[in-house]
Amino acid sequence: MKSALRRLVTRPGGYIPLIWLMLLTFCAAFPAVVATHEPNAADFTAILEGPSAEHWFGTDDLGRDNYSRLVHSSRTAVVAGLQAVGTALILGVPIGLFVGYAGGWWDRIVMRIVDAVFSLPGLILAFAIVAILGPGITNAMIAVGILFALRFIRLTRAMVLSVREEPFIEAAQLSGAPTHTILGRYLLPNMYGPLIVQTTISLAAVLLIEAALSFLGLGVQQPDATWGSMLRAARSLQRDNPITPWPPGLAITFTVLAFNALGDALRDVLAEGRGGRKKAARRGVAVGLAEDAAAHDHEHPSEEAAGTGTLLSVRNLDVTVPTDTGRARAVRDVSFDVQAGEIVGLVGESGSGKTVTALAVAGLLPRGLAVDPRASITFDGRQLVGMTESQLAGVRGTGIGMIFQDPTASLNPALTVGFQLAEPLRIHGGMTRSAAAERAAELLDRVGVANPRQRLRDYPHQFSGGVAQRVMTAMALASEPSLIIADEPTTALDVTTQQQVLELLVELCEDLSMAMLFITHDLGVVAEVCDRAVVMYAGEAVETGDVYGLFAQPCHPYSQALLASVPLLDADDDRLVTIGGRVPAPNEEFGGCRFANRCELAAEICEEGPVSLKPLEDEGRLSRCVLVDSAPANGGKS
Amino acid sequence: MVRTFAYRLAAAVPLAVLVSFLAFGLVHLIPGSASETILGDGATLEAVAELDRQLGLDRPLHEQYWNWVTDAVRGDLGRSVITSRHVSDTLIERYPVTLSVAGGGLLVAVAIGVAGGTVAALRQGRLTDRLISLGTATGLAVPNFWVAVLLAFYVGVQLGWLPAVGYVGPTESLFEWVKHLIMPSIALGLGSAAVVARQMRGGLLDVLDRPYITAARAKGLRYRRVVVVHAMKNAFIPVVTVIGFQASVMLGGAVLVELIFGMPGIGVQVVGAVLSQDLPVVQGVVMVASLTVIVMNVLIDMSYAYFDPRVRLA
Repeated sequence: MKSALRRLVTRPGGYIPLIWLMLLTFCAAFPAVVATHEPNAADFTAILEGPSAEHWFGTDDLGRDNYSRLVHSSRTAVVAGLQAVGTALILGVPIGLFVGYAGGWWDRIVMRIVDAVFSLPGLILAFAIVAILGPGITNAMIAVGILFALRFIRLTRAMVLSVREEPFIEAAQLSGAPTHTILGRYLLPNMYGPLIVQTTISLAAVLLIEAALSFLGLGVQQPDATWGSMLRAARSLQRDNPITPWPPGLAITFTVLAFNALGDALRDVLAEGRGGRKKAARRGVAVGLAEDAAAHDHEHPSEEAAGTGTLLSVRNLDVTVPTDTGRARAVRDVSFDVQAGEIVGLVGESGSGKTVTALAVAGLLPRGLAVDPRASITFDGRQLVGMTESQLAGVRGTGIGMIFQDPTASLNPALTVGFQLAEPLRIHGGMTRSAAAERAAELLDRVGVANPRQRLRDYPHQFSGGVAQRVMTAMALASEPSLIIADEPTTALDVTTQQQVLELLVELCEDLSMAMLFITHDLGVVAEVCDRAVVMYAGEAVETGDVYGLFAQPCHPYSQALLASVPLLDADDDRLVTIGGRVPAPNEEFGGCRFANRCELAAEICEEGPVSLKPLEDEGRLSRCVLVDSAPANGGKS
Repeated sequence: MVRTFAYRLAAAVPLAVLVSFLAFGLVHLIPGSASETILGDGATLEAVAELDRQLGLDRPLHEQYWNWVTDAVRGDLGRSVITSRHVSDTLIERYPVTLSVAGGGLLVAVAIGVAGGTVAALRQGRLTDRLISLGTATGLAVPNFWVAVLLAFYVGVQLGWLPAVGYVGPTESLFEWVKHLIMPSIALGLGSAAVVARQMRGGLLDVLDRPYITAARAKGLRYRRVVVVHAMKNAFIPVVTVIGFQASVMLGGAVLVELIFGMPGIGVQVVGAVLSQDLPVVQGVVMVASLTVIVMNVLIDMSYAYFDPRVRLA
């Protein structure tokens, strides 16, 4: 709590409103000290004067000093706010605690009433309550307090319910501790934060209502001033003295603004205390990029991106992500090619950077992630790095189609499947609505969706995962791209549907002579689907080659370990081999090989410096290992 | 469509009954009786008892409620204690004015709020976003009646661009009607526009991070189309909830704002009635305003089905 307070007063959003509210409280406590005149002293020699050294904000129709009346009004504002919010707290918190704790019928009935009253026009209900209680500021504020109690009932009840659902509460109940003592011990300390925030925001709202009621003459009675009643008087006085509506109006605005800003700042501070600090991450961005540039080495024995058959060529791809300490490299110096009509696998564990690589190729990286501008991604002869969003839009769909991991989340829930499927046809293909619908049905039929014509009218939530992935596939095919990027297209599906979708993808690639970049963590799938594969580890491509050679004789110790961990039905050994340790995070830097700390073969030489991809004797095979010449499974003749 | 509307309206009946309890209860919470208010301080006990009998105030409470509620359903909300006019006549004459102002305010709130929130989301973190967030913070803090006072004086009186006072019905002159409504609607709508803008910005930012937006971009659609066709409809779902709530805020605020622009709505009546404890008028206004909000909420509920197809089957 103390550190929260410190964080609050060190930010402008915290201390500026606090200073204003402290000034206000001082004025309310000692108005005579701050004011220059008696607030109600009429002076008929100085009626409706403009601002002067004597009367800073001028005078009203009775010659009373506007500044002093404004200062004295602050007491009404403060007292009224405390009365109303105090009433709301006293009524709302116990009722909320009770219904949240009691639950059942109590909860249902009270919350029904609260919801009902909440939906009615508040100001008009306040009128009704004032009509019963009679005019006067205290009555009016109690009326407002009763209405605001509803907010506190809702808030307190919600907090009780959320605590009740915590697993440790259930555990404590099972161990026999009475519910109310557990709730009390855990709930009370956690309630202060949200309650303080709600109180602050309620004070702002109450102040506006108090001003409105006073403005209507339903609050404080003459001659005492409030900001609302000063504004009321200003309506008829502003013609003769235009300054009159400004001081009370600004006083209300600043005070409400201060309460709201304080509420926002409090919420931020409390949220930071609980969770991570997102903003700190952004600061290091520029510094990190510069460091990256210095550390980056570009020596690379790349395959030449030549030949008429090369469709996609990625060279020296670096993708950086923001972290707490600056920018880290999530993808490091990755290079590979995809030939026309070829299926290339991108394999690795979670965190290896394979999905980020795929998204980078399509220019679809999430916010915050960035491709290093020195990288090169050429597709069909066009350089994609540095393209604007609208230039990229010209490549996506028609050139590169995408299939995503979670098909149900990747379809728009608010639009029919038919609309989403017909959209690229109408926009890229220039088809009419009916022609596009016809073609969409054909596409659905092609990917094996039953009753395609009826299903076009359905919404995504009416589809199962497997069928949704077929729809996504149809959508990727719609504009007849020459490359499909499939990002773990079967991971979210049932085992039985996985196989069907895989077969469909391979079949489509053959029939339509499309190339595919297939991202997966499953080596079995790679063996089944791909012509060539790129094995990725901790952001780097550690080995590339044709699938046959890769499986027969993996060269990099990581590929070997990965292959060894695939359970085989006909294996002699029942033991499931795993790789110890975990994939290093993008911001973890090593002097040498990034796999060394998990590698069984690691030697001193591995730690000495960065390791680059080296070509092996086998044509088209590359490996990133210093031991590759001495490694036991070294790629000799197979 | 009509059937859904009727069904939802029927589902709102319990809420309407609750409101009628509240409105009826008003009279009986007050010390003394309506007869005393009518006859004044000098009335004899016999005279009060006689008037009580005439007004039916000596009957059991449930009987009084039943009589009141059956009369109300037939459109008879009783007579003003002060002027003896039928409350329903007053409402029929004046309520359309208040509704016009509230509707105008809501229109301003939605138009400015949705536009501002969308621009802020698309320019997240940039200068435009900061300026809009400053604008919404101010919009939330500025009292609508102060804006009304300033607009009426500076734009209405000094510049003379728009009428500072009065009201012309739409049947008389559509053009004049709109002209008289511009300033009240702006004064009333700015605060709610800030609320709508905040929700719109947050909702749109949330939606823009969803996988289906990436998928839409992957189809090669222009970003403008992705935002307008794929993001807006989803981002609107929480905004609709906020708009529903603001509709009720607008109705309360309209009473205040129409007073300042000298419009013949229910504002003058209701403030006068509150001050003189003219309860039949207060009752009538509470009833009618609440029922308006209830109908409004039914419409809002129905609009969810358009924005979120998952609601349709439920």
